Formats: sequence, C-alpha cells, structure tokens
Amino acid sequence: MISCRQLTRRYGAFTAVDGLTLEVERGAICAFLGPNGAGKSTTVKMLCGLLAPTSGEAMVCGLNAARDGAALKRRIGVLPENLGLFEELTVEEHLLLTGDVYGLPPAVARSRVDELLDALGLAHGRDTFAAECSHGMRKKTAFAMALLPNPEVLFLDEPFEAVDPVTSKTMRGILVQAASRGVTVFLTSHILAVVEEIASRFVMIRGGRLVWNSTREELPRRLEDLYFELAEPANGKEIEWLGSGRS
Amino acid sequence: MARLWAVLVAVWKAAQRDRKSLASFSGNNIFHLGFALLFLQDPGAFVFSAVLIAIVLFLPLSGDPLRKVPPERLALWPLEAGERRLLRMTPWLNPLLPLILAMLLWRKVTTGLALLLGGTFAVGFLAPRAGRGGGRRLFGRLPPFPGPLNQLIRKNLRELFSTLDFYCALLLAAPALFFQAGGRLPEEAVGPVTLVILLALSTCAQTLFGLDGEGGLTRYRLLPLRGWQVLLAKDAAFLMTAVAMTAALEPLGGLAGALMALAGGRRAAVQVDRRQARWRFQMGASFGASLFQMTLLVVAGAGTMFWTPLLIVPCVAVYAATTYWFGRMIDRQACAE
Repeated sequence: MISCRQLTRRYGAFTAVDGLTLEVERGAICAFLGPNGAGKSTTVKMLCGLLAPTSGEAMVCGLNAARDGAALKRRIGVLPENLGLFEELTVEEHLLLTGDVYGLPPAVARSRVDELLDALGLAHGRDTFAAECSHGMRKKTAFAMALLPNPEVLFLDEPFEAVDPVTSKTMRGILVQAASRGVTVFLTSHILAVVEEIASRFVMIRGGRLVWNSTREELPRRLEDLYFELAEPANGKEIEWLGSGRS
Repeated sequence: MARLWAVLVAVWKAAQRDRKSLASFSGNNIFHLGFALLFLQDPGAFVFSAVLIAIVLFLPLSGDPLRKVPPERLALWPLEAGERRLLRMTPWLNPLLPLILAMLLWRKVTTGLALLLGGTFAVGFLAPRAGRGGGRRLFGRLPPFPGPLNQLIRKNLRELFSTLDFYCALLLAAPALFFQAGGRLPEEAVGPVTLVILLALSTCAQTLFGLDGEGGLTRYRLLPLRGWQVLLAKDAAFLMTAVAMTAALEPLGGLAGALMALAGGRRAAVQVDRRQARWRFQMGASFGASLFQMTLLVVAGAGTMFWTPLLIVPCVAVYAATTYWFGRMIDRQACAE
C-alpha cells in the first residue's frame, strides 16, 4: 500500500531523508520512529504528496505521490505536524468542511461528524473556534478530519502527543479497528509504549537514514531498548544546580 | 518592586512591538491614495485619508497593555498582593489616554470628533474584557452558502472582517449609503465614493492568504481542491463584501472595480508570502503592485460607470483568466515546496 524506493530529500547541502526504501502492507499499522530532526515529518510530507522528493519515488495506493497528488489526496487522510487548522473555523465547521470537499452526501457527513465528535470527546466544544481550542482539542479535530472521508491510508504525525489518556485510548482503538478492516496506518510518535502496543511494523530512521525495519514478531527485544540503541542513545546528563539550594 | 518593574518592562516591550505592527498602513492602498492626492495638490484629501486611518487605528491602539501577558502566565508569577494591585493600573499607562484627554480639552477639536475618538478608545479598551474571541464570535453566525466551498467562504469572510481595511471601507460606505438613501448624496459624488470604498478594501485582494497561518496553508494543500476553487472561495468573500458596500451606489462599476482589484492583486496574493496580522491594516506586496492594482481598479470601475457598462465583460474575462492561471500555479505549488 505504501512503497518508497531510494526516497531522498535535500535542502541545499543538508540531506533530510537519505535513500529511504520501505514497503508497508495493506492493513498494517506502521510506527515510523526517530529522534527530532531525523526526517520523519519530511518523509510523511513526501508520502502525502506535499513535498517533492529530490530523488527516488514514493507510491501510495498505487499512485505516484509526487505526480498524482490530486488523486492521492482523495484516498488518504492526514494529520499533519502543524495540524492544518483554520483559526476562523470552529471544530464542527472543520469537519463539515471536510465532508463538503470530499463530496460526502450531507446526511452521511452529518452523521459521521456527530459520531466522531462524540467518540473523541469533542461534542461539548464543537462551536469553539480552533484559535481558542486547547492543543489537545486541536489535535483531536485534525485527527477527526483525517478519519472523516474514510480513507484507505492514514498518515498521522504525532497523533498521541498532548491528548488525554481516555482520548489516546479511544484513538488507539479506532486505529486498530481501522487497520483490521484494511486501512493502512502510517504514524510517527515519540510515545514508544503506545506504539509498541498497537503497531504491527516498526521503522526507525536516524539522520534521514533507515536504521531498522521489521514486523512486531521480528523485534529482538523491547522497542524502547532497541530505540535507544539504534535511533537515539539516552542522554543521562545531570543538571547540577537543580534542587541543590534556592537562588 | 524589582519583580513588578520586570513585569512592567516586559509589558512595555511587548506593547511597543505590537505598536510597530500598526505601521502596516504604510503599505495599504488607502494610504497610497492619500499620498497620491497630496502630490496632486489636494492636501485636504490627504488629511481626510490620514484622519480615516487614524480613526480606524484607534481601536487596536486603545487596548489594555497588560493583555500582552497571557493571564495564565501572569497568575503564575510570584508577585505580592500589593504588586498585583499596582499592576492593575497599567491600563492607565496607555499612551492614548492623555491624548484623548488633551483633545477633549483642546478647543479646536469638535465635540463630535472628540466623542468619536473617545468612544472608539472606550470600545477598544472594554471589548477585550468582554471575553475571549469576541471578534470571532461577533461573526460566528454567518449564513451558510451553497456548494462545497461553504465553510471556506464563511472562514474567509471572518478573516476579512478582522482586518482594519474592512472597517475603513465601512466607515466610508455607511455614511455614503445613508446619504444616498436620503437622496442627499450629490450625483457626481456617487462614482468617486464607490471607487474610494473599493480602494479602501482592495489591499485585502493582495493578501488573500495572509491570515491563514501555517496550519491553514497546510490544510489547503491537503484538501482535494483545485487552486481555482481555493481562489474562488477567497474571492467570493471579497466580492460579497465589496458588492454589499457599493450596490446602492454604482453596482456595475463597483463589481467591475472589485473584479479588477482581485485580478490585479493575484500575483501578490499567490506568489508573495507575506503574513498579515488581525486587527491591523493589510500590507500590500510592494508599491508597484499596489499602483498596478489601483490603476486597474480605477480604470475598470470608472470606465464602466462613465464610459460603457459593457466594460464589465472584459473585466469578467480578465478575472476568470487570472483565476485559472494562478489557480494552476497554486496546484503546482502544492507539491513544490
């Protein structure tokens, strides 16, 4: 469902993503992991057709992400890094907008909007403008927008950060259910315990290069141990002045 | 006292930076118009445009400076009760307050103008206390529009209503419509007033995406919409506002001028990434871009009003062509970061 070959993106002399090659099968939940600045968001942007690769190729749903961007957008749902919300629209208006532009019949859109608002605990804040929402509410709104058109592939950039535990559990449940029905989920996250629970494939990058790619069954040890070993060594630096006397 | 002083310095710095953003009017078409009239030996018209800008600027200038500090942050700072009481005096540090008092005492200022300025100041001072997001909620209940662009048009209208350009145009349109309704607006003034209203609004056509923010721009690229559709949703908000303000004056000339304002501002709107601020005048891309846009607007509007109404036909054609052309450009930009 997602396939990329030698995917590379350079910004001047800096290489954000360096020759990434990977395959994600239909119905998988792929956790795309790496430290800040590793190239995760750049990769997601290239897979969604938002960013042209410098070289290499990304195919999603059988479409070339760089060339067939318009067609691809109709088949994927995306939770972008910056959430992609308009300050001047309310939570509910964002979802109705999604229904309108994806061509859902009004009755279907209305029923999906109500269901998603309810499931994600957004019903009480449906009339709140995005500019006045908490970060968690904004994230849930963007997540609901990604789900609403019932996409074949979901790209989620840090979906679990800044959401409350109940919503996080609800979101995990929704993703597992969607994957079991054939939706492919490609997500980035720093919350290793959560992704270890739901993901069926783990991909790690460091400095734009692939350092690990396996299924859950192929993991040799705990995800956290593997992550600290391959993607980002733990930094045990102490701050000496902290707690050592008031000043 | 050192803590209080530190807070006051921070508030002062934030207020100063905020005030600098008010200078955006120097890139606005209404300011350019006033300046052009000054060079055309019409100082009265320049003073008129300057007073107009000053009145509209009073609203954002008259806010409480302490609002620059997020309330949650203010509550967390380790200040004593006495220091917090002293901090409540900061609204009186607003530089406009002594100015208003001086104007009220100055004999040459008419009571009407003094009351207008004082009233604007009071509204700016009190409105932010009425609750968060007052401006947005004011225009929260907009009617739905037919078609898939409904929510985008509503959003774009709310954006337009949060610019000072809109209020400047409204300040011109409201009395003109009032006098027109009473049959007291001289016939020879109808056309020029229509054009001035459009000029006051026209910089917004250069900054169509200026208030969308990073998130909004990302969403445009994610939505399965063509570039021309995105532009159409933007234009619908602008055209509805412009037509509503000029329909009772010179409807066809107003429409022609508004269409040309959009066509003339297209390049700046699509290719120049200049972020704008709410409750400020919109700042055009460059003087050249503004001059080009204003010339198109005036020629099209005046030509339709005073020469032949058929001029609306090429105006529509040029508008449609720029919408298509720059729409394609948006489509290409969607994957060309």
